[in-house]
Amino acid sequence: MKPPRLGHDNLGLGVGLRSVHFEHILVHQPAVDWFEIISENYIDSQGRPRYVLQQIAERYPVVMHGVSLSIGSTDPLDFEYLGKLKRLAKEVDAKWISDHICWTGVLGRNSHDLLPVPFTEQTLRHVVERVRTLQDFLERPFVLENPSSYVTFQDSTMEEWEFVSRMAEEADCGLLLDVNNVYVSSFNHDLDPDAFIRSLPHERIVQFHLAGHSNYTTHIIDTHDNHVIDPVWELYRTAHELTGGVSTLLEWDANIPPFPVVHDEVLKAKQFMGKHLPAPGPVARIAGAETPEDAPALVGAAHAAIASPHPLHHIRPEVE
Amino acid sequence: MSAGPRSLDAVQRWFQAVITHPEGVEGGVESEEAQEIIRLNRGELEAVITRSRNLTAAERMGVYANAYYARLLECLGECFPVLRQALSEDVFTGFAFEYLQRYPSRSYTLDKLGENFPRFLEETRPGPEDGGAEPGEIGWPDFLVDLAILEWTLAKVFDGPGTEGQATLTHEALQAFPAERFAEARLVTVPCLRLLESRFPVNAYFTAVRQAEEGEEVPLPDPAPEHTAITRRNYVVRRYTLTPPQHALLTALQGGGTVAEALAAAAAVTDLDDDALAGALGNWFRVFTAEGFFAAIE
Repeated sequence: MKPPRLGHDNLGLGVGLRSVHFEHILVHQPAVDWFEIISENYIDSQGRPRYVLQQIAERYPVVMHGVSLSIGSTDPLDFEYLGKLKRLAKEVDAKWISDHICWTGVLGRNSHDLLPVPFTEQTLRHVVERVRTLQDFLERPFVLENPSSYVTFQDSTMEEWEFVSRMAEEADCGLLLDVNNVYVSSFNHDLDPDAFIRSLPHERIVQFHLAGHSNYTTHIIDTHDNHVIDPVWELYRTAHELTGGVSTLLEWDANIPPFPVVHDEVLKAKQFMGKHLPAPGPVARIAGAETPEDAPALVGAAHAAIASPHPLHHIRPEVE
Repeated sequence: MSAGPRSLDAVQRWFQAVITHPEGVEGGVESEEAQEIIRLNRGELEAVITRSRNLTAAERMGVYANAYYARLLECLGECFPVLRQALSEDVFTGFAFEYLQRYPSRSYTLDKLGENFPRFLEETRPGPEDGGAEPGEIGWPDFLVDLAILEWTLAKVFDGPGTEGQATLTHEALQAFPAERFAEARLVTVPCLRLLESRFPVNAYFTAVRQAEEGEEVPLPDPAPEHTAITRRNYVVRRYTLTPPQHALLTALQGGGTVAEALAAAAAVTDLDDDALAGALGNWFRVFTAEGFFAAIE
């Protein structure tokens, strides 16, 4: 029997770090529980992005979220890239490293998109083997996220939730459940998002993602450019009940509003937590909380006192 | 086509060929590259990709095909904002679209997406037979290449190695260096210093575009040599206009030459006599050290 969240901390309610919010965060030091970074924006940086990250990592728990691992690709794993991930994770003491159940390119190319895999036994064996390899290499907790997808394959022999569940069990890795992605993919593939979430191994879910999307009536695209819609919040409520609560993060990547708007959006999650309010782990524990039961109210008070704050994969240079 | 499970490798090579094809999904499915992997007749796409209640297989694949170019074109536009403005959105997109086919990304990071764009503009410049300049003549394509080089350099300096948190060579330290050893000394330039020599005043144009009011049209410049130093302080990229001898001097120093060799390089490109040049040097080094161009003197 695995412990909830595979024993990892519930970091609370976090926000994706985006360069447009650098100054706000450094100046106002908003009461955000934790930040998630886009790993590729920082692993090579020797300039301001890395400098800002170092300062943020001194004050907040940080999780590294990548978009170029390409765990499902039939190209070899890129150990130069993995080495850089590992070094940065050590530098910022990343609580875990995550990426997506997808591939981004083959034959040495990178589409910079999260491309879907056919859900077959062959793909499952391939991904599981690679997850095991990189977990040995990274020596840090590793979690994989269900991406939004827009096609499914005739070759698939199982549903996505079965693939995700078996992959996590067989590779012994954590899951990053993107609740919005479940909604988007289920809409696009005429599936039941509630059944998706109920079918997962809940104790392996280490983190949630929330985001807005664009509904084109015939299909939905995961644009991360708006508020989270109510049906996604309802799915979040279900996921929260099933897991007992895990680290929750809001992503906002286009038409990014001021940090306080983004921060307020993730704080809405409290309305959907029911009796399972977050029980912060050692990292997120607030000074003054005598018991885990006291902590949530104090977390809320801290947020209310400093109502504030929040990547795109490309950071614009600052030129005088 | 034959049914049954295909190898993951085949599916991925086929998928990539289809969504990156410049003529869209149908062109991609019918392309030689895709057909060599999965042979499909027109209308057979649903043998590989399922349809949904609302969309056909081709429409669904179109989401990925559209996103591929849209995302990368947007990123290239952000890497070269002034070039995009100089060319107009449509013309820039045309160049960028062709560039992505010739130089598709092969890196985990989008930060390298534009690294071959100046080279691409050079490679695809029109020859005399297409109305372009004669060999050796400076023409419109040179402006585009020089501007692309400038913008790419700004991006690299912004996120590359810098001197923040480190001491740079001060003017006082330079003056304290033994005069008898100065001619044979070597000034180590900081890692973020880049020296550009352009055929058009692209740095001045860059400034003019940034300072222009929204909607204001900035006239394209006539050819004129321009020398620019680019560096970074406090994580912000800075640009300095240089004279030709200043550029020659710094280039020689950056190349590892001695002060005497650098002075000879400067003297070779100036009308100043030796006394006048010597007189100017003190002020040059005062400015260069104040701007943090040098890490050390050896």
